[in-house]
Amino acid sequence: MDANMNPTMLLFTILLLSVMGFIMGRKRSYAVANQVGGMSNLHSRPTYYGSLTALWCAIPTLIIFSFWLLFESRIITDLVIATLPDQLQNLPADRLNLIVNDIRNMVNGNIVSSEPNPSMLAAAEHYRKLNSLSHASLTVIVIAVAIGAILVIQKTIHPKLRARNHVEQVIKYILIACSTIAIFTTIGIVLSVLYEAIRFFRIVPLSEFLTGLEWSPQMAIRADQVGSSGSFGVIPVFMGTMLISAIAMCVSVPIGLMSAIYLSEYANRTFRSVAKPLLEILAGIPTVVYGFFAALTVAPMIRNSGGVLGLDVSSESALAAGLVMGIMIIPFVSSLSDDVINAVPQSLRDGAYALGATQSETIRHVVIPAALPGIVGSVLLAVSRAIGETMIVVMAAGMSANLTLNPLKTVTTVTVQIVALLVGDQEFDSPKTLAAFALGLMLFVVTLILNVIALVVVRKYREQYE
Amino acid sequence: MSAEKKSIYPDKPELQFENKRKFTNKREPLVDRENRKTVGQPTVENPRMSCLNVNVYYGDKQAIHDVTLDIGRNEVIAMIGPSGCGKSTFLRCLNRMNDTIDFCRLTGTILLDGKNIYDKDVDVVPLRAQVGMVFQKPNPFPKSIYENVAYGPKIHGLVQNRAETDEIVETSLRKAGLWEEVKDRLNQPGTSLSGGQQQRLCIARTIAVGPEVILMDEPCSALDPIATARIEDLIDELRENFSIAIVTHSMQQASRVSQRTAYFHLGDLIEVGSTDQVFLNPLHQLTEDYVTGRFG
Ligand SMILES: Nc1ncnc2c1ncn2[C@@H]1O[C@H](COP(=O)(O)OP(=O)(O)O)[C@@H](O)[C@H]1O
Ligand SMILES: [Mg+2]
Repeated sequence: MDANMNPTMLLFTILLLSVMGFIMGRKRSYAVANQVGGMSNLHSRPTYYGSLTALWCAIPTLIIFSFWLLFESRIITDLVIATLPDQLQNLPADRLNLIVNDIRNMVNGNIVSSEPNPSMLAAAEHYRKLNSLSHASLTVIVIAVAIGAILVIQKTIHPKLRARNHVEQVIKYILIACSTIAIFTTIGIVLSVLYEAIRFFRIVPLSEFLTGLEWSPQMAIRADQVGSSGSFGVIPVFMGTMLISAIAMCVSVPIGLMSAIYLSEYANRTFRSVAKPLLEILAGIPTVVYGFFAALTVAPMIRNSGGVLGLDVSSESALAAGLVMGIMIIPFVSSLSDDVINAVPQSLRDGAYALGATQSETIRHVVIPAALPGIVGSVLLAVSRAIGETMIVVMAAGMSANLTLNPLKTVTTVTVQIVALLVGDQEFDSPKTLAAFALGLMLFVVTLILNVIALVVVRKYREQYE
Repeated sequence: MSAEKKSIYPDKPELQFENKRKFTNKREPLVDRENRKTVGQPTVENPRMSCLNVNVYYGDKQAIHDVTLDIGRNEVIAMIGPSGCGKSTFLRCLNRMNDTIDFCRLTGTILLDGKNIYDKDVDVVPLRAQVGMVFQKPNPFPKSIYENVAYGPKIHGLVQNRAETDEIVETSLRKAGLWEEVKDRLNQPGTSLSGGQQQRLCIARTIAVGPEVILMDEPCSALDPIATARIEDLIDELRENFSIAIVTHSMQQASRVSQRTAYFHLGDLIEVGSTDQVFLNPLHQLTEDYVTGRFG
C-alpha cells in the first residue's frame, strides 16, 4: 500500500471501510442468528448490527483524522524551526513567520519571495520528510483502528446484543453534537464581539458612546498627523437607524396588515393561492437589488418631486431608503399576520356574525383583537429586520451622521457605519475599527430584545387558543 | 324569583337515568325504514318561524332534502339525529349563517313572522339580531365580560350611553343566570370564565340584542354535567320569552328541555312530534331505532 496516501484518499478509505463494516456486521448477524435458530431470536434487525459496526468504524477514525490534521502542520512547523540555524531562530516573530512561509512554499513548489539559502533548503527537505512521515503514520493508525473496530464489533455481535438501542443512542449523540456546534458558534461570535467592544470601551467610555451627540470616527493614525481626534457618540447614528426603520414600518405595517386581512378574510381560495406566494417573492429579492432601486430610481424621484414642491431634498434621503426598505419588509408583516389571522378560530367569527356584525365589524372588533398579539409579534420581527438591514441603506441612505428627524435629509445608520468603518485599510486595534464592534454589539442587543419581546408575545397568543 | 323557580332537574338526579328505560317500547312503529317522508306534526298554529320545502346544497352535494318544519312561539324544539344528518346545517339556515359559506345554496322558503328571510330585500344584520345563535364550543370574544355582552347592542345601535349599556348588560347577564357570579369582575376577559360560565356568557350576549328566536347547536357538548344542568334550567326559563331551537346529541337532554322533537336522518326530516310522542311512541322505524339506541 502506498504509505503516502493523501488525506482525501484516506477519507475515502475510511468511508469504504465503514461500508465494509456495515456489510460484515450485517452478515455476521445473519450468521449468529442462524446458529441459534433463526432471525426471530435476534434482538435487532440485521441492518442495526451493520450500522453499529459502521458507526464504530467511522466515528473514532474520523475523530483521529480531524484532530491529526488540525495539529499536524503546527507540530511539524515547530519541529522544523527547531532545526533552523540559531541566527534564523532568533529573528523577531514576524520575520520568522515569513521564513516559515517561504519554507512551506518551497515544499509545495510555489514561488518563493526571497533567495533560497542552503539552510532553508535543508529545512524544506526536512519539512517534506516530516510531512510524509506524518501522513504515513496517520494512514496506518486510521486503518488499524478501523479494522480493529470492525473485528471487535464482529466478536461482540451475538443475538442478545441490543444493536438497535446502541445505534439510536449514537445517533442521538451525533445530533446533540451538531446542535452544540450551532449554539457554541453563536456564543463564540457574541463573545468575540463583546470582547472587542470592551476593548473599544476602554478607549471610549461607554457613557460617552451612548450619550454623545456627534459621530465622526476619523482619527489621526499617527501622533504627528493633523486631523480630528474622533468622536464616537452613537446617538446620531442610532437616530438614523430609528428614523429609517420608522419610515419603513409606516410603509410596511399598513400595507402588509391590510393585504394580510384581504388575503385571509376576503380573497377567495384561488386568488389567495396565487397572491400569497407572489407576495412572498418580494422577500426573495436580494437586498442589493432593492438597494440600487432605492438609490437610482426612488431617490431621484423623491428629489425631483420635492423640487417641484419647493422642498430641499438631499440626493440621498432617509425617505428613499425607508420607503424601499418598507416595501422589502411588506411580506414579513403580511405573511406572518396572515398566518395569525388564519389561526383565529372560525367559531369567533361565527359568534360575531351570529350577532349581526358585518364582515368589516367582525374583522375590526373580533378578528384583529384576537390576532393582535400575533400581529404585534410579526411587526416586532419586521422591525428587527429593518434595524439590521444593511444593503439598502448603504446604497441609498448616505454616510453623514446628521442628528435630524427630517426624512428629506441624509442620515446614516448603524449598519452603514459598521460597513464604512471596516472597509479599506485599517489598523485592527484603532478605536475606529473597534467602534464597529461596539456598534455591532448595540445592534445585536437591540434586535435581541425585540426578538425576545416578539417571541414572548407570540407565545402568549398561542397559549390562549390551544 | 329563585325561590319558586321550578327546576326541571328534580331533587333526585339519579331518576333521570331511570327514565331512560322508558324510551324502549314494545309496539311496532307504523312507518318502515324505506319511507323518507316526514311523519308526525311538522306544523303548529301561529308559528314563529316556518320552513317550507327547504333544500340545502354544499356545492353539488345535497345536505337537506325538502324539509318542512315550524318553530312555535315560546317552545323549545329539539333536533336530534346521528352525526352528519344535517342538524347544524338546518339550524344555520334559520339565521342565514350559511351565507358565510360561499358554495352553500338554499331553495325553499323560511318565514319569520310571515316574512321570507331569504327575500332579496332582507338584510342579514337585523335578521341575526332577531334570530340569535349559540354555538357548540363557547366562543366569547377576546374582550371583557362586560364588552362581550355590550357588543351586540352597540353594533345595532340599541344603546345610546353608558347607563343604558350598563342596564342591558345587567339584565342580559341576569337572564342568563350569570350576573351573581360575574358582577364583581365585569372587566376581566370573557375567556377567564369556566366553560359553563362562558357558554352562559354567550347566551347573555345573544339575549342582549333582543332576539325572538335563539338557535343552539349542541350548546352543552363541551360542558361537564353540572354546567350542563345549569344551561338546561336556563333554557327552560328562557322559553317564557323566546322560541328556542336546540340541536343535541343527548336524548335525555332533548327529553328534559324540549316540548317538540324533530328527528333528522341523512338530510331528511323523518319525524316531528311532541317530545313525549317521539321518545315514547315513535311513528317511524328509523326514529325508534335511534331513540332506543339501535342506531348512531
Ligand atoms: N361547510 C361545509 N362544506 C361542505 N359540506 C358540509 C359543510 N358543513 C356540513 N357539510 C356536510 O353536510 C352534511 C351535514 O352536516 P351537519 O349539518 O354539520 O351535520 P350534523 O350537525 O347533523 O352533524 C354532512 O354530510 C357534512 O359533511
Ligand atoms: Mg353539528
